[in-house]
Amino acid sequence: MKKVIVGNHAVSWAVKLARTEVISAYPITPQTQVVEELSEMCASGALAARFIKVESEHSAMAACVGASAAGARAFTATSSQGLALMHEMLHWAASARHPIVMANVNRALGPGWNIWADQSDSLSQRDTGWIQLYCETNQEVLDSTLMAFRLAELVELPVMIVLDAFYLSHTSEPVDIPDPVLVDRFLPKREPRFRLDVKDPHAFGALVRPDDFLEMRWHLQDAMRRVQPTLERVEDEFAALFGRRYGAVESYRTTDARLILVTSGTITSTAREVVDAAWDRGEAIGLVKVKLFRPFPAAALRDALCGAERVAVLDRNLSPGVGGIFAQELRAALYDMPPEDRPMVYGYVLGLGGRDVTPQTLEDIIDRTDDMGVPDRADLWVGVKA
Amino acid sequence: MPDSRPPRTPHVSVSDRTTEGNRTGSWKYLHPEYHDRVAPCRERCPVGVDIEGYLSLLRAGRIDDACDLLLRENPIPAVTGRVCDHRCEGGCNRAQLDGAVAIHAIERALGDRVLDGPLPPPAERRHAESVAIVGSGPAGLACAYHLVRLGYGVTVFERDERPGGMLRQGIPAYRLPRPVLDREIERIEALGVVFHCNAEVGRAPSWPALVGAFDAVFVGIGAQRGRRLGVPGEALPGVRQGLEFLRAVNEGGHPDLGDDHRVLVVGGGNTAMDCARTALRLGGRGTTVTVVYRRTREEMPAIADEVADAEREGVRFCFLAAPEEIVATHGHLVVACGRMELGQKDASGRRRPIPSGEEPLLLEADTVLLAIGEEVSLDGLPLTPRTEGGIHANAWGATAETTDGRVGVAVFGGGDVTGDERTVAHALAAGKRAAIGIDRQFRARQGVMPPLEPEALRIGEQGAPSMTRWRGDDPIRRVAPLNEVVRPRDINLADFARAPRHRDRHAVSRRRSWSHAPDGFAEVNLGLAAEEALAEAARCFECGVCNECALCMLYCADVAISRDPAGRFAIDLDHCKGCGVCAAECPRGAIMMSLEVPS
Repeated sequence: MKKVIVGNHAVSWAVKLARTEVISAYPITPQTQVVEELSEMCASGALAARFIKVESEHSAMAACVGASAAGARAFTATSSQGLALMHEMLHWAASARHPIVMANVNRALGPGWNIWADQSDSLSQRDTGWIQLYCETNQEVLDSTLMAFRLAELVELPVMIVLDAFYLSHTSEPVDIPDPVLVDRFLPKREPRFRLDVKDPHAFGALVRPDDFLEMRWHLQDAMRRVQPTLERVEDEFAALFGRRYGAVESYRTTDARLILVTSGTITSTAREVVDAAWDRGEAIGLVKVKLFRPFPAAALRDALCGAERVAVLDRNLSPGVGGIFAQELRAALYDMPPEDRPMVYGYVLGLGGRDVTPQTLEDIIDRTDDMGVPDRADLWVGVKA
Repeated sequence: MPDSRPPRTPHVSVSDRTTEGNRTGSWKYLHPEYHDRVAPCRERCPVGVDIEGYLSLLRAGRIDDACDLLLRENPIPAVTGRVCDHRCEGGCNRAQLDGAVAIHAIERALGDRVLDGPLPPPAERRHAESVAIVGSGPAGLACAYHLVRLGYGVTVFERDERPGGMLRQGIPAYRLPRPVLDREIERIEALGVVFHCNAEVGRAPSWPALVGAFDAVFVGIGAQRGRRLGVPGEALPGVRQGLEFLRAVNEGGHPDLGDDHRVLVVGGGNTAMDCARTALRLGGRGTTVTVVYRRTREEMPAIADEVADAEREGVRFCFLAAPEEIVATHGHLVVACGRMELGQKDASGRRRPIPSGEEPLLLEADTVLLAIGEEVSLDGLPLTPRTEGGIHANAWGATAETTDGRVGVAVFGGGDVTGDERTVAHALAAGKRAAIGIDRQFRARQGVMPPLEPEALRIGEQGAPSMTRWRGDDPIRRVAPLNEVVRPRDINLADFARAPRHRDRHAVSRRRSWSHAPDGFAEVNLGLAAEEALAEAARCFECGVCNECALCMLYCADVAISRDPAGRFAIDLDHCKGCGVCAAECPRGAIMMSLEVPS
């Protein structure tokens, strides 16, 4: 069934199809529609989930942690300041290995107060132990949310689905809504290894001394290591039922490309057009879309970028004092390559706080990269007004 | 990273055995306790009725038990359900949400149910002593009722032809249908109380004869003399005491005032409202009834519902006017009223009327009814009057009267005569207070001194004495009773869904002319239908009393609250950390936190 829906509602539909059992959330622009739709689904009985109203995002995540500890499939959604407020609980969710799924609508952190697209909120949480999946279209949002539950429950880690404010959250696109019967086949009921049970009481999350803590973190890292192969398996299963797959990293017309654009989120769609136009002109420009940010798919990116002369990373985010975060992570990943295969990395910071990134912006970046020799700095700013 | 062999440590922090051995309860410095506290309605009820208790029984479908509980404190609920000013509702915590519980209507429904049932069997006589009751108004009826139920012999002396006192003489039938009053008194008689009517104590029997024949005397003669206005023209024909007017009408005389009759009622209390509405019913076409009151509507001592009913029926009001002179001219009366304004608050807490200096108001009338209050008249009784009128009674209802020779005969009093607040409910409470005082004195004479002080019988800090507490036989299971009233801040309103208060049904709206209306004195307020009353009872928050809603169990973060097969909650103090969430979440304030006492 195809429906024309906004990205936020694509999340809601996926959460409904996943037969989520507990939803706890606090509204924040531009995420509000996600939980608004879900609360209506709960109220009408279309979704048999407990909807827990809370007074803050910190409590929303705490409620999800509790629900997940009790064995429930739990979901929340937030954005920007709300995600920042959750920070402590994000660590808890991951370290306690709760397969919670969260949608985060990328929005700038204030001040200056700003409700528009910017990846700094989710990327600030990269060290909390959450898997992060960045989406390009509303269809990808819905599909990724469904896959996120499966992935999370297989590796026992929480997953953050990330979508751009307004470009996805509030933009309507035709979306294929999967058949619930097939979704049930794809996503069986959750079977946790441990669960809270008052009849068999155990302490969860209690004190762990130095002689065991390191090993617990080893397990966490081990689970992260298994994410990419597990995601491949989940995508295989999903593709077999629904005919769509995305990949942790997607290469688009990169064969023989001298310059490859590296993107995430909705800038990818713009870049596809620019790349197509470049090939039409006879210019060998490629595109690599990074969907999986945590764990960082270093090996896949090395493979995807091997052979290119130059790589322009487009970062709609800023790590103050460093520059774009994707560029930073990519540079670290490429360091393991033999120096002769290693492309030159140009890290562009652009589009912050919802500033428009147009095809012309990308054309200018291609020209600028071509004209530059060795990049003179790690952060190359785009469109800064004089 | 040891890729080949994962460590044996679990991937999450989870204990391998039960955590019950970890006595986290030792961390606390506060612990929760279940208590039965006092609902504010109970404290506010002048009669001391366990309102929350009977509403809770009604919720449980135990209607007969609810009636029994009500009858423990209140001898005539069908009467008070109609004429009491229901102060209980003024304290109701539900007012914070969607309107106080309509307690008066539920009480009335229960009272009517009792009246429809069989008469009670005679009370068992357990003591030799007998008591004389002088006056059969609400104070006397209550004293007689409680004493006979305590096992004493009781004889009531009533000056009038029929018992009831002011209930019969003062309250019009459209507010209190006489069959209701008759049946209530019949029930008291059935318990074994002997009524002597047409018996004026002081003449026949004489006071010495009375104290010679009984072991105690209760004086509840009320305040029966209308207060004089003290202005020129008060003795003119056409000027009458409102109380006399009501008494004449209530004793069966329904004179036709005729068409275009103009009635002025002076006063703002319940007697004034009764006079006004009664006059309206006796008038013909074009009859007008105007209430003249020297303050404003806000200061009127009459029950607000009565004022509203009077207004709905067409009574007019003239506020801030004080009669200064009445003259007869051209066959009618003219009442000159000084115009007033409100000054500072007086001793009653109401703003005092002071002359405004405006031109006097001249009001024409054919009849002027004075209803500015009643005074106690001790005529014929050798009692020592207080300077402010009436006689003195202590906290047990005992007066300081000597007993004219017979040692040991004590005189008790209650109601208007002892300066109690002048409502039916306060009179009932005064009768009960004296019944307890009399019982206490008789038991003391037998060497059994009940240890209770009057304060210990009080419901809450301010409430009336409780007969159940005096008897010590509360039929309601009480968990650690605590004589502390549940305040609005103790209630968790979030746990209650809105449900609007049921409104009383009313028989009439305004009509153009009352004359020749055969049902003019038929009851106006019809209360609630039985099923509505039950639904209204379900609105009760059950303040301060655990009703086993189990929210404490749900919210306890330490799973330290459990429930035994009998439904009682138990707190596992070995694991309760004293966080207080149960007390905060309890919808009705039945859990309180107490300091740990160091051992």
